Amino acid sequence: MKNWHAFTRWLIALGVLHGIVLCAGFFAPYGPSEQDRKSPYLPPMRVHFVDGQGHFHLRPFVYSFRLRDGSFDQYEEDAAKPDPLRFFVSGWRYRLFGLLPSGLHLFGAETTRVYLLGSDGYGRDQFSRLLFGGQVSLLAGFLGTGFALVAGLSIGAVAGYYGGWRDDVLMRVAELFLALPWLYLLFALRAFLPLAVGPLQAFFLIIAVIGAVGWARPARLVRAVVLSAKERDFVRAARGFGATDIYLLRRHVLPETSSVLLTQAAILIPQYVMAEMTLSFLGLGVPEPVPSWGNLLSNLQQYSVLVSYWWMYLPALAIVPFFLGYLGLASSLQERGEAYKIERRGLGRLT
Amino acid sequence: MKSDVSISGRDAPPILKLESLTKRYTKRRLGGRGEELLALNGVAFLILPGTTMAVVGPSGSGKSTLALCVACLEQPTSGSIWFDGRDVMKLPENERREIRPQIQLVFQDPANSLNPRWNVLRILIEPFVLQGKIAKEEMRQRAFSLLERVGLSSRISERLPSELSGGQRQRLAIARALALEPKILILDEALSALDCSVQAQIANLLMDLQGSLGMTYLFITHDLAMAAQMADEITVIDRGRIVEGGPAEEVLREPKHESTRQLLAAVPRLTRANAHD
Amino acid sequence: MMRYFLRRSAHAFLLIAGVSMLTFLFTTLAPGNYFDEMRLNPQIAPETVAALRAQYQLDRPLPVRYLYWLNSVVHGEMGFSFAYNSAVAPILLARARNTLLLTIVATLLAWGIALPLGVWSAERRGRLPDRVLSLGTAALLVIPELGLVLGLLMFAVRSGWFPAGGMASVEFESLTFIHKVRDLALHMTLPVVALVLSALPLLIRHVRAAVADVLDAPFLLAAQGHGVPKRTLLYRYALPAAANPLISLFGFSIGGLLSGSLLIEVVMSWPGLGPLLLEAILSRDLYVVVGGVLFSTLFLAGGNFLADMLLYWADPRIRRESSLR
Repeated sequence: MKNWHAFTRWLIALGVLHGIVLCAGFFAPYGPSEQDRKSPYLPPMRVHFVDGQGHFHLRPFVYSFRLRDGSFDQYEEDAAKPDPLRFFVSGWRYRLFGLLPSGLHLFGAETTRVYLLGSDGYGRDQFSRLLFGGQVSLLAGFLGTGFALVAGLSIGAVAGYYGGWRDDVLMRVAELFLALPWLYLLFALRAFLPLAVGPLQAFFLIIAVIGAVGWARPARLVRAVVLSAKERDFVRAARGFGATDIYLLRRHVLPETSSVLLTQAAILIPQYVMAEMTLSFLGLGVPEPVPSWGNLLSNLQQYSVLVSYWWMYLPALAIVPFFLGYLGLASSLQERGEAYKIERRGLGRLT
Repeated sequence: MKSDVSISGRDAPPILKLESLTKRYTKRRLGGRGEELLALNGVAFLILPGTTMAVVGPSGSGKSTLALCVACLEQPTSGSIWFDGRDVMKLPENERREIRPQIQLVFQDPANSLNPRWNVLRILIEPFVLQGKIAKEEMRQRAFSLLERVGLSSRISERLPSELSGGQRQRLAIARALALEPKILILDEALSALDCSVQAQIANLLMDLQGSLGMTYLFITHDLAMAAQMADEITVIDRGRIVEGGPAEEVLREPKHESTRQLLAAVPRLTRANAHD
Repeated sequence: MMRYFLRRSAHAFLLIAGVSMLTFLFTTLAPGNYFDEMRLNPQIAPETVAALRAQYQLDRPLPVRYLYWLNSVVHGEMGFSFAYNSAVAPILLARARNTLLLTIVATLLAWGIALPLGVWSAERRGRLPDRVLSLGTAALLVIPELGLVLGLLMFAVRSGWFPAGGMASVEFESLTFIHKVRDLALHMTLPVVALVLSALPLLIRHVRAAVADVLDAPFLLAAQGHGVPKRTLLYRYALPAAANPLISLFGFSIGGLLSGSLLIEVVMSWPGLGPLLLEAILSRDLYVVVGGVLFSTLFLAGGNFLADMLLYWADPRIRRESSLR
């Protein structure tokens, strides 16, 4: 079927993107905390194939930077010193997937540091920080979504299956949560938790807060599915064979929720990555020195940075290919399955 | 108004007896106001073993509620259901769970009563899995013999319900209902969703099974003609009450209640003369 | 009519009450921290702290604190702001006015663009113009809001065409009326553009889908068969039928715009509820946070209420249903 292929294609594309971020250590030439105080705010280096004399070189090279005469923060390329790029070089040691120690990097230059996306105020390579920051932001999005969906599934299943006062209470509470503009709720919740915490705790706090806010919509959707599923005759028939509630839920009712959950996942993951970015940007999320796509952008709040150092904006666009992938995924899912009407209208067709 | 109870002339004790069965549904609304629906009102009749009792009535008369209550899948508000001499209502839940497999229900729409994601084999062995008493291999064997009994080929065991025809699906539903060797089979409009020719085939299958397995049928339908063909006894239900009942020929020959006459009139082919056959 | 209005009002009221309780509940998550922060704050004299604690019963259990706060709401104060050293309500109201200004203008503009575009696209569904628009909205949809806002800010700073944030220039008070209006408009442009751009893609898609659904309905085909002209078909037959989902969409969109405005206000220094909330969070100004969240909920509930009323007016089925009760 046509849409099965579309789904797989988007999944593969997303897989590649996530793979690159997952192997950040390999693709990034430097570690996220490696500073070089002598090279603050260097602009992105251009990769050249043709040198000053007009000769073409097969191996790409970069020029190191030197300060322009009379300026203290304007740089220009030093054409006298071409530095060829080498591939599969060894550099600082990292752990691939957090387990395997390795020193292999995709590329690197011989003498100078390569700043593909420029450097920040401490001379840290933005490209490397981008990749490592992606790990943090994407993971936050995934875990937050997972939490919200698990909570939503449990609550929705209980409300839909058992009905009665449980249903009433749970759905009223869900309505309360949905009545608030969610970003405000997220902030408020984050507000009342300790502010100055370490990176790891901050990370888990964000995930907890996202889950605590985001369960309501999935819960409502799951509840609707469960309500209609439990009235199906095959559920009644199974009860006639002696099935218990747990069996019915596990084998017959909950499998019906899979398509709703998948579609919700494709919609929520990008949304929650955005939430983490927003929180970190404003100082309520993952703190320095751990990079995240959000806090990579936070020094843009300074006027000087905004005016002079345009490359600091680039992390904002890092998420675009991912958003695109998730959009395509959600689109193809909705075309395949029977999504609920409002959600279907939400994303329409991509092509 | 006193409900009529239908009794047949044979000697064996009834396998199923209903007394004053009442089922009330309340739609609760948080404002305090609840809407009430009286689905069954003082229903009473009995069925003798090995016979077919047809319960006939227009839509909305409470037939499906009756089916669910007798199958112990729905709890009546009041009254009693005597199965094999025991009052099911008064039994504790674990004993009732023992009883349910003995009264099986075949639903009207097999598209709804068969899990569309499961294949034929999995659907058939589910009753055995739930009872948990026999080995896996034995389950497969029994599943295949069930298929054979209802006239289905074992080649369909890997197929999904969507890949079967309407008649095949209903045969599958019947096969599944027979898995735990029930004493009573309730057929809730089981033939209504099928094409005419397929209806005849399935009806014949049911008659054969009754003959070979000695089962009792509770046949629920809105089609008096169907009831005429299949049943020994006919009970007429209207708006939750039994309005008439008795041996099939009597009811068809001399309908006493207005509802019965309306049902009779709704059948184009069946005239008084034909009913005598 | 009155019954429906009262029912929806009661519903909205209960919702807001529930939200206030919920927000208050969150404060139990970190009870110890506040008082320490407050004591550390040099701007607040110890006597004030002691007096406040007595007044707001800050040591008492949660329900009691809530009741004192409710009492304060009734008196028009909504608690006390430690950072601003005044009652919360006046601060909130001033900021809320600015947020409303932004949100209302953005809502009108966004719907003003989305509605015609969505209808136009639905009319030509499946054909090239529709596909092009679909691609365009997708392109806009995948840009994160943070990226949009920061991008616009960079544009403002580098081009100098628009002020880089804030709501008024330094010399605002000394300007003539016309120049004041112009100044406000200039300051409002980028935040409004950011809000509209972030909301537009989803809005266009929703409108298009709702109208397309109706255009595919059999009753419309029948009308066409009767020879009803195209314009009339669209505006007298299709649009009223699509009113129901569109009005619900309107309610949803307000929530989205409010959430979006938070970030935009902070980045562009627009003095609305967003920056106030952030500031209050960072300085642990408890009652301001509660008040801010409550106000935003109020706007959302207000918008939904408006949508409900519109729905009542637009959809005869709802009128009939409510009169039957």
